[in-house]
Amino acid sequence: MGKVEPSRPRAFLASVRLSLLLFLADPQWVIPATIAPVIFGFAAFELYRGSGATLVLYAILGAGMMSMWGQTLYGAGWATGQDRELGTLEPTLSTPTSYLWVVFGRIVVNAVTGLVGGLVVFAVVSFAYPHPLPLRAPLEFVLLFAFVLVTLASVGLVLSAVYVYTRYAGFINNFGEFGFYIITGSMFPVVLLPFWTSPIALLLPPTWALDALRYAALPGYTGFSWGFTVDLLGALGTMLVYLAAAGSVYHRVEQHVLTVGNLQEY
Amino acid sequence: MVGAPSSFVPMVDSAISVRQLTRVYSSRKGFLFSEVTRTEALRGVDLEIAPGELFGLLGPNGAGKTTLAKVLSTLLIPTSGSARVLGLDVVRDAQRLRPRIGLVLGGERGLYYRVSGRENLRYFADLYGIPRGEREGRISDMLERVGLGAAGDQRVEEYSRGMKQKLHLARGLLHQPELLFLDEPTIGLDPKSARETRKFVRALLAEGVTIFLTTHYMFEAEELCQRIAVISKGKIVASDTVAGLRHLVGGDRTFEIDGYGFEDAELARVKALPGVSRLVTEEFGPRLRITLRVRSPELELDRVAKALPGHPELEVRERRTALEDIYLDLVEEEPN
Repeated sequence: MGKVEPSRPRAFLASVRLSLLLFLADPQWVIPATIAPVIFGFAAFELYRGSGATLVLYAILGAGMMSMWGQTLYGAGWATGQDRELGTLEPTLSTPTSYLWVVFGRIVVNAVTGLVGGLVVFAVVSFAYPHPLPLRAPLEFVLLFAFVLVTLASVGLVLSAVYVYTRYAGFINNFGEFGFYIITGSMFPVVLLPFWTSPIALLLPPTWALDALRYAALPGYTGFSWGFTVDLLGALGTMLVYLAAAGSVYHRVEQHVLTVGNLQEY
Repeated sequence: MVGAPSSFVPMVDSAISVRQLTRVYSSRKGFLFSEVTRTEALRGVDLEIAPGELFGLLGPNGAGKTTLAKVLSTLLIPTSGSARVLGLDVVRDAQRLRPRIGLVLGGERGLYYRVSGRENLRYFADLYGIPRGEREGRISDMLERVGLGAAGDQRVEEYSRGMKQKLHLARGLLHQPELLFLDEPTIGLDPKSARETRKFVRALLAEGVTIFLTTHYMFEAEELCQRIAVISKGKIVASDTVAGLRHLVGGDRTFEIDGYGFEDAELARVKALPGVSRLVTEEFGPRLRITLRVRSPELELDRVAKALPGHPELEVRERRTALEDIYLDLVEEEPN
């Protein structure tokens, strides 16, 4: 019998490939990935078009995030829920590869599709608005835009474990959906929220990354008083904690589901 | 206690070695005042399977067949006892064991419907780490072998039930496991597909693959398996060859006597005939069927008929004890 040796990069790439194929094979994804962002973008644009270019930019950043974050944060979780529904969770967990690498691949695909959604918003509003948008540092903006997605993905990686843990993960998803969106400052700056929300917000890497993104995008923006560099370091630090925790979280969750025996439930 | 206790030394030559294995499921009902229900799916299972053997596990629904297959294939952690597969502990050494075993859980689920059969196999080939250079060749060979050569590039949602089952088989075998768990592989298949599947299983056995088969179908177990265990309410109630099981339940001759209005004394008289090891009665409307397991080659049908005088309507016949008879005897004997 031939010897087989599982490899994490191969598992990761296999997951990326399958996620892309499933994404393309299911046309319903066109709505959250491209049409919804355009609707959000136009709604924000119409609300703020008379308030000056800076506010328009602020608003479309919020709309762009609205279209991206859900896709990135919960896309992989949703796909894991699909694994339960299709009954593919059992054969996947019976392979020698940790499920973490499968989810990681899905997260990357969802982050990229989320990025496309955000860029669609930006392109549509730039085209519709007659004046150039006053991006303070365009290159940094693009890089930070992608970085925000990476921070979202790091949280999504950990949250997706809930979908492996229980078939009721959709409940948690629905419960946390808008709470997460608001508390990380996707739509409003965190400093506008009640003080008690700040410690929770600061535990989430996207909070820091979004603030850094606004520094790079908006002229005269003053979010957290500690400035851009600390924002960036905060995002990196919290993100690393999430990434480091993911391995342990998945190991524990896999042990739990094998003990409880609920893999086939959906 | 999970994992191998220090006092337990498995048979070196065993492909599967199970000692006092138990598995309890807990389920919770209600929200505020929830009630926990415990179900013992496996109750002290002992089992020994040799390499290269095709071992069948028979049992009614809910008897623990799938639970045992899942524990042995590392998809469930046992509550207590120990299980070693290919010399590895199913809990402690699960990561090392998984590349060496294959699991085929039948049914409509367990596949990615929106992509092709080939893409399904590609994905699992990568998760198993099949060398890149061999991957495409192995997938094509396996698709051909299970009879999906022409349908490999079709989406799975277009497959029939039988084709999905073949794809399950292909996936379970793609990484060339030494031991294959087949959980009811022919359930729901049409006779032709079921026959092809059984032929395929025999071919695997000829190649030296050890096979652990769970099934509902007696003829399938009888046709394929070298040894059979019967599981009932989480316990193995018998484990032997079909001939051994026949002997266990009381002989390979079975007499069936159909008639009306038998008295208890008449039944007792028949049961007392020399060579009769077991008597079972079944009602078919007003008619009663007496089934006898017979050990002795000397007992003749007419002697049985003579033991029931006053029944001119009697129909008496003899047949070989089928695995189904053995199974029913064993399962019905098992106390609650």
